[in-house]
Amino acid sequence: MNLVDPAHPPSRKAPLVWAIGAAIPWLLLAAGQVVWFAIDPRLRWVHALAAVVTVLGIVVFVVVVPLWRYRVHRWDIDAKAVYTRTGWLVQERRIAPISRVQTVDTERGPLDQLFGLANVTVTTASSAGAVRIVALDSDVADRVVAQLTDIAAIGAEDAT
Amino acid sequence: MTAPAGEAWHRLSPRMLLVHPVHEVLRQIPLLIGSVVLGSATGNPMWTLFGLALIVGYGVARWFTTTYRIDSQEVRLRTGVVQRKVLSVPRNRIRSVSTDARLLHRLLGLTVLRVSKGQEARGAAAFALDAVEAAQVPRLRAILLADSLAPAVAEASAGRELARWRPSWLRYSPLSFTGLAMILAAAGLVYQAGVGAALQNSRLAKSGLDAAERFGVVASAVVAAVALVVASVVLSVLRSLVTYGNLELRKDADVLHLEHGLLRVREHTFDMRRLRGGTLRQPLLVRLFGGARLDAVMTGVGEAREASLLLPPCPLATAEAVLSELIARPDAVTGPLRGHGPVATRRRWTRALALPAVLLIAMVALYPWTPVWLWPALAVLTVCCAVLAFDRSRALGHRVDTQWLVARAGSMDRRRDCIAAAGIIGWTVRQTLLQRRAGVATLTAATAAGVKGYRVIDVPADLAWSIAATASPWVADNDWARTT
Repeated sequence: MNLVDPAHPPSRKAPLVWAIGAAIPWLLLAAGQVVWFAIDPRLRWVHALAAVVTVLGIVVFVVVVPLWRYRVHRWDIDAKAVYTRTGWLVQERRIAPISRVQTVDTERGPLDQLFGLANVTVTTASSAGAVRIVALDSDVADRVVAQLTDIAAIGAEDAT
Repeated sequence: MTAPAGEAWHRLSPRMLLVHPVHEVLRQIPLLIGSVVLGSATGNPMWTLFGLALIVGYGVARWFTTTYRIDSQEVRLRTGVVQRKVLSVPRNRIRSVSTDARLLHRLLGLTVLRVSKGQEARGAAAFALDAVEAAQVPRLRAILLADSLAPAVAEASAGRELARWRPSWLRYSPLSFTGLAMILAAAGLVYQAGVGAALQNSRLAKSGLDAAERFGVVASAVVAAVALVVASVVLSVLRSLVTYGNLELRKDADVLHLEHGLLRVREHTFDMRRLRGGTLRQPLLVRLFGGARLDAVMTGVGEAREASLLLPPCPLATAEAVLSELIARPDAVTGPLRGHGPVATRRRWTRALALPAVLLIAMVALYPWTPVWLWPALAVLTVCCAVLAFDRSRALGHRVDTQWLVARAGSMDRRRDCIAAAGIIGWTVRQTLLQRRAGVATLTAATAAGVKGYRVIDVPADLAWSIAATASPWVADNDWARTT
């Protein structure tokens, strides 16, 4: 027996938002290095090493990781279960039955609001079993929440 | 006596009028010292008396301001001298009642009664009646649990004894590190209090150093080490005896009673319907002597602070018999497990031998400067790591059917988790990059009980979802399931 991967990718804007989210701290770091170089240009090789590390970090976390995550992230819902695939280096596939769902939360960070994205978290009675569907278009997220709250008889029992 | 479930506010036992002031004085020692200092500095002893009176008065006031009430819907506790606080717990949410009697409480025939809701919100204050008369405890427990455990309490029989502490169980305790930890903690405390600096120049330290020089440094170090080990063993055994002496595990229909302690008696009542399985834990040193400890996997009871402990280290046969009795499935407890195959074994060996390999490379690279004694040390380390790898790979295994998931792993802290399939509310298949390349996966069963997530480590990837589907039919009954 095997499970095929879930069908739906996140929003097309997801890699862009992830890239911007990752770029902010890295650019701050790069700016700090420029300031440092302007103040104290001795020890060239230390500056060169720091610059190489920063450029590598930017390439990996701002370019490679968002694209990689976009290829991995998938989600799906049917009448009985929620199923997601997440991660990049470490990948997780997680499935939870809708009958045991306790809450369905939507969450939007500042960047998400700017680009019209939303994250949906489906919690069960186990902290090891919460399913997160990240970077959905807002209208898709609303549909998902409506669909989930519709199917799940939330509050009918304590679902443990 | 008033009606037990009456709607009146009750006070705690009047004997707490004696206990509260003593506890307050112990708790407010800094304040007391301050008032003594103030008293002697001003030459007016009234300050000292005033401070003491204030503390004692506060203790007495605590009794007058603490009341509890058990009505048909919920139990409520009002506390606080200055800042008033009301705690309320709906009666149908009460999952367990535990009691605890420290020495002073026991001398006065008192018991602290704690009510647990099962799922404790983080940071929520515990509902504790500190304290009621010991004679009232059975009555109060019956009332408190009446809603959630009606049939079980109604029988009120003595129940069946599952296990009773034996002095022979003490043989597993010298091998724990609790004694050493206690010595280190005490030493740290003494040192922090400034005794270390005072000792450095004292005559005691000088005479000790002189003696050490006379006997020779090596001999003194050996003597000190032996003394430390002996003290640690004695402390471990004593602690085990005091904490778990007189332990008794009893089952009455739907309720599990656990009682233990020689000086401080603790009693836990568990709701059997919340039981989702059990974990046999065998730390290396306990396992070498054929022992095991047993933890309950229960909704709302975590492993922290030994809250889920059912049996302390005891003979493996005893722990297995008790768990079999609790979950009524002896094959899940003792039955053979399905191994995880050569890939999982290889991964255990790679991991264990990585450290010696790195050290070897470093030592070869720095060959001319490597001290000679490092080579035998490396050989010993390698052998230890190999033994660890062998033991870890042999431990890995699982067993699954429609009712129980069993997973075993670990060497230093081996555990065999038996989880009821009905309690599993989610599955995760997790693969690192290396796991994907090796074709294995770590399967996690999410449950509301115990540590929440129970892992089956490094199963072949194509088997992972089959295991999940065997235990939880809903995994195979959806749009994504394919039979291959």
